[in-house]
Amino acid sequence: MTDSSSTHPWQDPDQKPYIRIENVTKKFGDFTAIDNLSLDIYKSEFFSLLGPSGCGKTTLLRMLAGFENVTDGRILVDGEDMSDIPPHLRPINMMFQSYALFPHMTVEKNIAFGLKQDKLPDDVINQRVEEMLELVELTKFAKRKPNQLSGGQSQRVALARSLAKSPKLLLLDEPLGALDKRLREQTQFELMDIQEKLEVTFVIVTHDQEEAMTVSSRIGVMESGNLIQVATPTEIYEAPVNKDVADFIGDVNLLKGIYKGKDKEGTQLLSEDSNSIVYATQEVEAELEDTIWFAIRPEKLEISKRKPSNDINVLQGVIEDAEF
Amino acid sequence: MKKYGNFNIFALIVGFSFLYIPIILLILFSFNESRLVTVWGGFSTKWYGELMNNQGIKDAAWVTFKVAFVSSTVATFLGTIAGLVMSRFGKFGGRTLFSGMIYAPMVMPEVILGLSILLTFITLSIDRGVLTVTLAHITFSMCYVSVIIQSRMSSYDESINEAALDLGCTPLRTFLLITFPIILPAIISGWLLSFTMSLDDLVIASFTSGPGSTTLPMKIYSMVRLGVTPEINAVSTILVGLVALGVVTASIIGKRQKQQTI
Ligand SMILES: Nc1ncnc2c1ncn2[C@@H]1O[C@H](COP(=O)(O)OP(=O)(O)OP(=O)(O)O)[C@@H](O)[C@H]1O
Ligand SMILES: [Mg+2]
Repeated sequence: MTDSSSTHPWQDPDQKPYIRIENVTKKFGDFTAIDNLSLDIYKSEFFSLLGPSGCGKTTLLRMLAGFENVTDGRILVDGEDMSDIPPHLRPINMMFQSYALFPHMTVEKNIAFGLKQDKLPDDVINQRVEEMLELVELTKFAKRKPNQLSGGQSQRVALARSLAKSPKLLLLDEPLGALDKRLREQTQFELMDIQEKLEVTFVIVTHDQEEAMTVSSRIGVMESGNLIQVATPTEIYEAPVNKDVADFIGDVNLLKGIYKGKDKEGTQLLSEDSNSIVYATQEVEAELEDTIWFAIRPEKLEISKRKPSNDINVLQGVIEDAEF
Repeated sequence: MKKYGNFNIFALIVGFSFLYIPIILLILFSFNESRLVTVWGGFSTKWYGELMNNQGIKDAAWVTFKVAFVSSTVATFLGTIAGLVMSRFGKFGGRTLFSGMIYAPMVMPEVILGLSILLTFITLSIDRGVLTVTLAHITFSMCYVSVIIQSRMSSYDESINEAALDLGCTPLRTFLLITFPIILPAIISGWLLSFTMSLDDLVIASFTSGPGSTTLPMKIYSMVRLGVTPEINAVSTILVGLVALGVVTASIIGKRQKQQTI
């Protein structure tokens, strides 16, 4: 129990959440960008927000950082109501989707900016900036202005700038989107490292579900202003709550079928495509004869020339095409 | 080389000639030895020396410079605030009215503007002098500055300010450390434009100046009515030089700023 409560705090009812989002609604005029959303995030979590474009991920982060007022509901950070606290007094740093680098300052000065606001001594600042530059591999570009950087380089400066103050809560809006695969994986690794060492709580928006699977303690899948599933990467992968989540996370074969009840082999489904019974280990709440969707992860399919010995979930077919 | 048609080149030459031949002639004749304006009597700079002995012109120049400097500085300050308010504070009550009032002096005929300002001073029984000319110049320069600032702010990425706030910078410091340096080139352009507009202005100054506050354009205008002299050419040449310097500097700053933001 103690072990699981430190790695899975959300399962422990005694744990207090670090961020509590309570029935938050955000309206832009008539348009509802966030619709009565509630979510608890715990200390040192690496929480990923995933979802299609325009579903409200950035809006949610902006409310946490204090740039948008909540229309309804409230946000608590470390037990404190954030409603009346202006952005510059919140213990939160955010990395912007548009980077928002200061165009008139060099890379170095951009990174040092937050530290200077805390009136730290110069040598501490310089050392910290140095570390950050090394972390994002931009030491050579320290004296450049933002307009002399590539997209990926700008993104790394933005990341370094938000990390420099080592805040307790970091909001990253698509922090690695413009990086190449090597740098992305390396930076993911660094972020996880920082999170473990400094016990930072991360909330990160990403479009890359593979990234979310790798780094997250939990994933929240959003759709049009709502969370449709919040769970660990494995749970989301193995047991998506609906077809959209299944489709969004990982490669999947989505099939339609009819629910035929369950027996000792598992849930019975009559597949429409093959017109045969398929057994699933997953349970489903449905009435007999309901039409349901089921998903088969490609890596769980085995293909062989000889007929396997058991009879369950075996289909005969012809290979029509192969792709890599 | 067939990129530009013959007609285009012709039009270009004619256009530029109309614009610049008068100015070139003015400059040329300011170096004329002869007192007769239309007869070339050899090169000389004596009229510039002559200017130095003309107390009337020197006084007028000093008045003009004082008015231009003070009015452009105050107008830049007020215009910058107005421009920022218009572009940053979204839809506040009376925004349309406010923006209309800022633009009004730009579209109103100068004569009307001058006359109405004059009437105001008379109603308030303020004696006309350097102060009144300065106030009048502030009024019309301010709206140009606010337009320049607004156009700069339209391409200003608000998330830069948010990033600064997010990093623990107070709103006031954010303005001083982030917004102000980024829009500084626009502010300088605004100041230069106000300065040159104040230097050139004849109409509004004529309405609002009083004894002892004759500006240089007014002085030139009154001298011309007694006949064009090489001295007028010389003083005009100096004015042209100053205005050209202002405009060129403003456009260079504008270009630099564009390079920085893109
Ligand atoms: N200031 C605003 N005024 C009006 N509508 C807005 C505003 N900001 C966001 N929206 C709308 O709210 C919705 C959510 O926007 P948001 O930026 O949060 O999306 P997102 O999930 O971050 O998308 P993406 O993945 O493309 O970045 C969108 O439909 C957007 O058009
Ligand atoms: Mg977004």
